[in-house]
Amino acid sequence: MFTRIVGQYVIVLVTTLSINFALPRIAPGDPINYLVGEDTAASLTQAEQDRVLQEFGLDKPIPQQFVDYVTGIFRGDLGTSVLLGSPVWEVVFAALGWSLLLMSAALFLSAILGTVLGVLSAWKRGEQFDIGALATVLFLGSMPPFWVAMLLITLFAANLGWLPSFGAYELGTSPGSLAYLIGIGERMIMPVVALTLVQTANILLTARYSMSMALDQDYIVFARAKGVPERRVFFGHAFRNAVLPVYTNVMMGVGNLVGGALVIETVFAYPGLGSLIVEGVEARDYNLLQGIFLLTTLAVVLTNLIADLTYPFLDPRVRRTA
Amino acid sequence: MSKANRPNPYLAPLSTMTGRIQSLGLLILFVFIAAAVFAPLLTQYGPKELVCDPFQRPGGAHWLGCNDVGQDLLTKLLYGARVSLFVGLAVATVSTLVATAIAITAGYRGGWVDQVAMRIVDVVMSLPFLPLVIVLGVYFGASIMTQVLVISFVMWAQPVRELRSQVLSIRSAGFVEASASMGASALAINIRHILPELLPLIVPQFVRVAHNAILVESSLAFLGLGDPVQDSWGSMLFHANARTAFLTGAWTNWVLPPGLAIAIAVVAFAFVGFGFSTGETRRRSKVVNVPKDEGVSPEAAADARLAVRDLVVDYAVPTTSVRAVDHVSLDLRQGEFVGLVGESGSGKTTVAMAVLGLLTPPASVNGGQVWLDRTNLLHASPALLRLLRGRRIALVPQSAMNALNPVTTVMTQIVEALRVHTELNQSEAKERAVQLLRLAEFPDDRQGAYPHELSGGMRQRAVIAIALANDPDVVIADEPTTGLDVLVQAEIMDLLVGLQRRLGISILFVTHNLPLVARVADRLAVMYQGRLVDVGAPATLDRPDRHAHTRALFANIPQLDAPKRWRREIRTDNDSSVDRPILELRKVTKTFRSPGFGRARRNVVTALDGISLRLVGGEVIGLVGGSGSGKTTIARLLTGRIQPDSGSVLYQGQPVDRLRSKDRIGMLQAVHMVFQDPYQSLRRGMRIRDIVAEPLRIAGQHAAHDLGSKVTEALSAAQLPADEEFQQRFPTALSGGQRQRVAFARAIVTNPRVIIADEPTSMLDQSIRMGVLELMETLRRDRGTSFIFITHDIVLARHFCDRLLVLRDGHMVETGEADTVTLRPQHPYTKSLIEAVETEAAPRRLAAG
Repeated sequence: MFTRIVGQYVIVLVTTLSINFALPRIAPGDPINYLVGEDTAASLTQAEQDRVLQEFGLDKPIPQQFVDYVTGIFRGDLGTSVLLGSPVWEVVFAALGWSLLLMSAALFLSAILGTVLGVLSAWKRGEQFDIGALATVLFLGSMPPFWVAMLLITLFAANLGWLPSFGAYELGTSPGSLAYLIGIGERMIMPVVALTLVQTANILLTARYSMSMALDQDYIVFARAKGVPERRVFFGHAFRNAVLPVYTNVMMGVGNLVGGALVIETVFAYPGLGSLIVEGVEARDYNLLQGIFLLTTLAVVLTNLIADLTYPFLDPRVRRTA
Repeated sequence: MSKANRPNPYLAPLSTMTGRIQSLGLLILFVFIAAAVFAPLLTQYGPKELVCDPFQRPGGAHWLGCNDVGQDLLTKLLYGARVSLFVGLAVATVSTLVATAIAITAGYRGGWVDQVAMRIVDVVMSLPFLPLVIVLGVYFGASIMTQVLVISFVMWAQPVRELRSQVLSIRSAGFVEASASMGASALAINIRHILPELLPLIVPQFVRVAHNAILVESSLAFLGLGDPVQDSWGSMLFHANARTAFLTGAWTNWVLPPGLAIAIAVVAFAFVGFGFSTGETRRRSKVVNVPKDEGVSPEAAADARLAVRDLVVDYAVPTTSVRAVDHVSLDLRQGEFVGLVGESGSGKTTVAMAVLGLLTPPASVNGGQVWLDRTNLLHASPALLRLLRGRRIALVPQSAMNALNPVTTVMTQIVEALRVHTELNQSEAKERAVQLLRLAEFPDDRQGAYPHELSGGMRQRAVIAIALANDPDVVIADEPTTGLDVLVQAEIMDLLVGLQRRLGISILFVTHNLPLVARVADRLAVMYQGRLVDVGAPATLDRPDRHAHTRALFANIPQLDAPKRWRREIRTDNDSSVDRPILELRKVTKTFRSPGFGRARRNVVTALDGISLRLVGGEVIGLVGGSGSGKTTIARLLTGRIQPDSGSVLYQGQPVDRLRSKDRIGMLQAVHMVFQDPYQSLRRGMRIRDIVAEPLRIAGQHAAHDLGSKVTEALSAAQLPADEEFQQRFPTALSGGQRQRVAFARAIVTNPRVIIADEPTSMLDQSIRMGVLELMETLRRDRGTSFIFITHDIVLARHFCDRLLVLRDGHMVETGEADTVTLRPQHPYTKSLIEAVETEAAPRRLAAG
């Protein structure tokens, strides 16, 4: 069981590395453009280009290149960002913290909100609350997250002036000071709300569906026949079972959340990975984008791994039988 | 009713809310697509044309105003629809096509193909798709076509996972097994059965992908990765964001419309998929209607613990209601065992659930009283009912597997039952639970086990222990042994009866299995179409003056020592050695391995061990045994579905696996299967005519006239209507008995020499079982068809078969002439099989057959 799960994620990582390795080599155009940037490449003489290729090991046979590439990654070498002139690793790492802050807050909030509302919706299936909740999430889940963010800014920053809409902290405050922390908190609200709104839809639907399914099971009838109080039937039996798919869904939703966070950050000029991506896209900074892809994959794989390894604590049916 | 049309599997009817929402979604999509297609007619400007002042406010010639360079925003919106919708629909088309092909291949082939495909799907789904799409986007450029390919690349995996699990469930369906046993090729099965069943499930996948793809495209475009030549809605927002238009007054005309357009288009897709993705929205009212009149305590027998009076229950169905229980009155006395017997749809389970107050809508109790001593349960408050349930009146439910909560241990569930009614603390409750489990003869070392770790019999014991936890006076047992192996069923029955006598409990035992309760019940109550038609001691019920349905039930119970119902010219072994056998097994051994790799593969199960069998023309051989005895494996070997590990399977003296293709087709036409469950083995989406014609088509006969006459003849032979109207029906418009006759019509359409019938009557109601056996006998007599009759009911087999093979765990424990084996059994296993189904307490029938 354990080896199977870990094996699965090793394959994912190898795939990611292979995609990263293969892209500059199979994409249309000269690979040198991808390594040093098109503008720089154009300004180099043929001899200089050859030297660059040699430096990056592109004259070696492909398998050797792959081995070098992978060992490089494990030494923390993700190449150099053409745009910023510093190692990709450093640049990405500095931005990662901010993105994680947004994502973990949104993950936590949407999990709570989605589960509570979904369970309530199942309890009141077919009633006004349920229909209202369904209609709301259907619309929220259909809006582009970045557009929700733009509307939030228009309303709360531009028109009402309640919240700041730019950056992650107030410029000029010293890190650790109260003003600095308040500044961070204020600037988190809108991005986190935008992310949560979009993310909640999916979790609510899963919670509602699995709760409705659980309530229709024979063990619910049997629990009632035992004389178990209704509240306990609901939470002790139905919810205990319904929580399993919800948990999986929350954890698997991280991949989706990463995407949402990246786009939303650009609207708020939040200094996380998303803003880096936009700069990277504009400057066609391939190393930077690949580094971000690798790192986000790592983060998603890690959460999936945690989900897989903790799931057996919730569901005895997948525990390994001795 | 008779001309039941199949409901449209794609769209819900307009009369339902789901249907209306779906139509609204389709309407919106239609309008959007029309606007995109006719954009040049709807606006006089070009999308890149500079036609007004930068940031011009809406009004006059420019309804949505202009952007920063002076392009008309409405024009951009209309042309943007082209890009956004095209990408969404193209991605959905590409992804679902790829996904369907992969899912069918992987799901049908199984084995390593499936393993590899699903591994790849898992990997793709583990990748964070937006960063991946961005990386792919920057490398491969931003044309619309590359966008479609790149987004499809991350979108195909999810539908594969969903569709493949659907293919797996379709593949394991009875009608696929039936088709394969008729010799249909994998390709034919995929095209004729799997694809038509899968199609309605592909649509929601398409809708979901389109929904997601439009959002992903908008995100990509917003990040500046859109096609620079053609603006989509996302690109409009990208430009608006770059000019921080949303901080100015321009947000209402520049930011709002494209975002709304995306949201509405996406919502429209969600609407179309509404019926599939959100589950049903049926209102769940919590209270079941109860009769107004409380009534007075009845003058029932003085020792009645439970008295049901004039109980009426209706089920609301759209536009009308169906009476499920019609004025039923019944007493259950102290220490009495009453069997409530009825066929499917007779209302017996509804009575049981009404007594416990556990009916849920759409059922409603529309009259009567249920007295538990001096309390009318129908009028008890929820709090009082809760106190009585489990304490005074308990339930042993239908399927123990589903009745136990899968995520907690058996011990926890008993402790819960004890603690909701008593003041016991945890450790006292545990002590008591241990005693209860021992009482139910539940093995001591499995007390901490979870339900999935237990066998069916053990689960049923656990459920009984829970029901008895608080010494109830009355136990309602609702089909507690259905689905268990015939021997386990007998054990559970003995346990229940023993406990009932020992503890003085009153049991109302609900079942469709008359012989099962007839030998132990003090009284039987027979229900038919919602009414109680007969009540009385078992011995008094099987009489000519009783209700016709009661007589039919008894007439359909085979008796062990009654004269053989189907007498045939008995062949001696000498005779059969003269005939060349049609089918023969010679010392056949078959093992199965668990699927998977490595350690799992080493779990080898021996399904058959050294089995020999010979079947000659016109003969009926019975294969008898409990579940896992290897009966069905023999059937699969004889139809060439699987090959033996050792030994040989011979058709007319030729090894089946070495038949030439022409002989093989001949064999497949000569040997046919009839399966246990006619609800499974006939595909619901096929007309009766096509179902019956399938073996002919597999054999390569396609001439319409020829097919028509053969189908008509087969239906007549199966004693079914053969007219055009009947042939055009779907199986859903037929009763269970009719369906099984259709299965027989399908089996005889090629005029086979052998029919292998795998428990052909066990899913059918008791009162029609003998009719199906009579049909088989008629076919044998008129056409000389041989039968291999597979059953767990050795008494039935004795009446119908000439010779029997008794099987246990893949070994043959006894064989011989049917009467010899059943009347003078040698092996203890044969004896226990007989005891398990024998109806000793039931009266001997006066006249046989």
